[in-house]
Amino acid sequence: MALLEIRDLRAGYGAAEVLHGVTLTVEEGGTTALLGANGAGKTTTLRALCGMIARRGEIVFDGQDITSLSTERIARLGVAHVPQGRGTLANLSVRDNLLVGALLRRDRPAVRADLERCLAMFPALAKRIKAAAGTMSGGEQQMLAVCRALMSRPKLLVLDEPSLGLAPVITRRVFDALVGLRAEWGVSMLVVEQNATLALSVADWASVLESGRVAVAGPAAEIVGRDDVRRAYLGT
Amino acid sequence: MTRVAQEGWRGGLAKLTARRTTRWVLGAVAAAVLVAIPFNASPYTNLQLALVIALAVSLRGMDVLTGHAGQVTLGQSAFFGIGAYSGGYGFAHGWPAPLSFLLAVVLCVIAGVIVAIPAVRLRGFAFGVITLALPVVMAPLAIRLDWLTGGPVGLAVTTVQAPAWSGLADDQWQYLLVLAVGAVMFLLAHNLLAGRVGRALTLIRTSEIAASSVGIPVQRYKVLAFTVAAAYGGVGGWLYLTAVHYIGVDSLALTLSISMLVALVVGGVRSPLGCVIGAAFYILVPNITDKATPGRSALFFGVALLIVLFVVPSGLSGALRAGWSRLLASPRPATPAAAPPSAEQHASA
Amino acid sequence: MNIVQQVIDGMTTGSIYAALALALVLVYRSTGMINFAQGQMAVLSTYLAWAMSQTGVPIVLAVVLAVVIAIVMGAVIERLLIRRFEGREHLTMIIVTVGLMTTINGVVIWIWGADLKTIASLFPSDALGLGSARFTVHDVGTVAVLVSVIVVMQVLFQRTRLGLALRAVADNPQSSALSGLPIGVLLMTGWALAGAVGSLGGVLIAPKISLQPGMLDSVLIYAVAAAILGGLDSPIGAVVAAWVLGVVQNLAGTYIPLVGTDLQIAVPLVIMAVVLLIRPQGLFGRREVMRV
Repeated sequence: MALLEIRDLRAGYGAAEVLHGVTLTVEEGGTTALLGANGAGKTTTLRALCGMIARRGEIVFDGQDITSLSTERIARLGVAHVPQGRGTLANLSVRDNLLVGALLRRDRPAVRADLERCLAMFPALAKRIKAAAGTMSGGEQQMLAVCRALMSRPKLLVLDEPSLGLAPVITRRVFDALVGLRAEWGVSMLVVEQNATLALSVADWASVLESGRVAVAGPAAEIVGRDDVRRAYLGT
Repeated sequence: MTRVAQEGWRGGLAKLTARRTTRWVLGAVAAAVLVAIPFNASPYTNLQLALVIALAVSLRGMDVLTGHAGQVTLGQSAFFGIGAYSGGYGFAHGWPAPLSFLLAVVLCVIAGVIVAIPAVRLRGFAFGVITLALPVVMAPLAIRLDWLTGGPVGLAVTTVQAPAWSGLADDQWQYLLVLAVGAVMFLLAHNLLAGRVGRALTLIRTSEIAASSVGIPVQRYKVLAFTVAAAYGGVGGWLYLTAVHYIGVDSLALTLSISMLVALVVGGVRSPLGCVIGAAFYILVPNITDKATPGRSALFFGVALLIVLFVVPSGLSGALRAGWSRLLASPRPATPAAAPPSAEQHASA
Repeated sequence: MNIVQQVIDGMTTGSIYAALALALVLVYRSTGMINFAQGQMAVLSTYLAWAMSQTGVPIVLAVVLAVVIAIVMGAVIERLLIRRFEGREHLTMIIVTVGLMTTINGVVIWIWGADLKTIASLFPSDALGLGSARFTVHDVGTVAVLVSVIVVMQVLFQRTRLGLALRAVADNPQSSALSGLPIGVLLMTGWALAGAVGSLGGVLIAPKISLQPGMLDSVLIYAVAAAILGGLDSPIGAVVAAWVLGVVQNLAGTYIPLVGTDLQIAVPLVIMAVVLLIRPQGLFGRREVMRV
């Protein structure tokens, strides 16, 4: 059953329409990779999904139409968005960042347990628990951003270019962690990524955007095998 | 001729106003009107108009700093006061007018640089707060230096007098002097902003990081903008004194600085016309509102500013430009004839 | 006059700056901006307290009512005015609050006129002595109220979920919305709290310097100086800075002939300018992390 269904999504900035009808699904417990070249509309799709820009079409999440809801309402329904490079509150400590993620939860013992789980998963965060988030390295901030999103116990984790600006080794580590997360936290994922190989390695479904439309969609394993798609859209 | 007829009067008007010669003609007509006014107006009207021009010069300087470079200043009245006091001292001691004018400019440039060099290291709110300190310190200082400034009483002086050959009354002569100096100051500002400096300041306003990444010395340009604002404040103050023959501590006060900021935004930033409208707003509105109920102008100022912020963020001059473009735009959908001149107007403003 | 007396007088003056500085810090911590209209908002609620006390309402009740009105006023101003400009650059926000300041000033003059009014103090003005120094119960009461406000603010921001939410929104509203925080409600809360603290400052100050529309104009400048010196995000820093400013101002006015009583108002500003140049983040503040 689909957790997220986006149908004929149109969105843009001001008068300029960037998405001309995007259709996309994320299965319950699955991971969908959203691929495409620069400017294809990947980030715009995520922004529209999370109510950060004006949009038309239909977005159904967990059986509810969220097309016209505000960002905060969508977040409260269980969509946790880790935006591109800006997933942390720079002047707040690591601990406060994690707690902000869990601010709307009432189950305090479970919040504490989740906090410990995050710190165990990324020991680098535990070491700098009191430091301001903005003073940490790009990789640490990305881990913190993912953890902050997880702390809300989302049903869907939305990641925008988690590899952006990170060294390959760090990127690998973040993606390894993502694979573990899906099983351990029972969360579905929608991942936008420039690095197609990396994204396809964690996804079970992939959609490729081109100029605001879905050009190709299919099981990740199948897309990996299609040289024509890779050459035409993914530049690998 | 036939094409103009085909496009209708709107298209014709748009074409006409877009033409360079038309602009020169319009400018010449406006200048002629401004020069002709004092011969047909009362001394009171001449004084009011001279004050509007004097304040407009000060606002134009503020506009370079606040409008173009994006740094809010709440200290302009300090420079306005320095300029006016320089004039007052000069005229009281029988100096020739150009000498005290020079003193006003030099003092303001020095004071401006001294304040600017440390202030530009600060961003946003902190910068605004530092400039706030200027009038707060200047006003009591002026009272302290009473041998220079006349203390709380202020200085009442005889300023420029009309030479006998001109056959003009003093108020007419003073108006023309203020108009001439004001015109020169506006031209200088136009030339400064049209070139490299204007582009650099715009970039700094948009993003300091982007500006420094393309090699613009951000702090040096901010010091320049601040100094220009200071010098214009000084010239404005000198012109103000020349017209009104009096300078008191009130001209240094923070309230004047705040009113100047309000006037600039109401008139419209990044626009010479906006500075003039803002100055007219500041000088003329209290004449109307205070006649109805004394002390009502504060309320009117505040409300006017908020209304402008809500309705026309580009200020009254922006509203005028938009209205003009709409007038020229034909009711038929998107005539290409109307578009270029309006775009050009925006660019040149 | 001995130096102890000078210090005590300075602390009393400083407490006046501190009350308003705390309100500024509250708005800054919850919305990330400086509210130049904070002083005028406090003046308006002080006038309301005065007007109520004129009709025979006991002063304590009048003050409580005025603070409640200030809370509502803060929230309403945020919702109807500030919200429209949320997220714009500093320039716009400064101009908006300057417009608000001028408007409220005009309203106050329109309703109540510009002449001085006398408002009763919350505390008796009995003199107390400590050695050779003299001060009043009002002075002690002012300081006590301030200290309680600091304690409450500190607990609120550091120990409560609401405080954490307010800090998150001040840091980055958009990012906070992604965690589901109700941004609008939180911004209104910040302004409402600041309105309360500011109005408390107004009613504490007014008995000492007489109620008039411009009574907080210069105080606002020192409050801004204190808040900036204290680092803007630190209530304790703001209050300590306010006290230091008050004391130094007083001492300089008395012992440095060049300064004197007329120029002593310049002292806090000079101190602020010098400190800001050495430590742009203020004495107690954390350096803001800039994102490129």
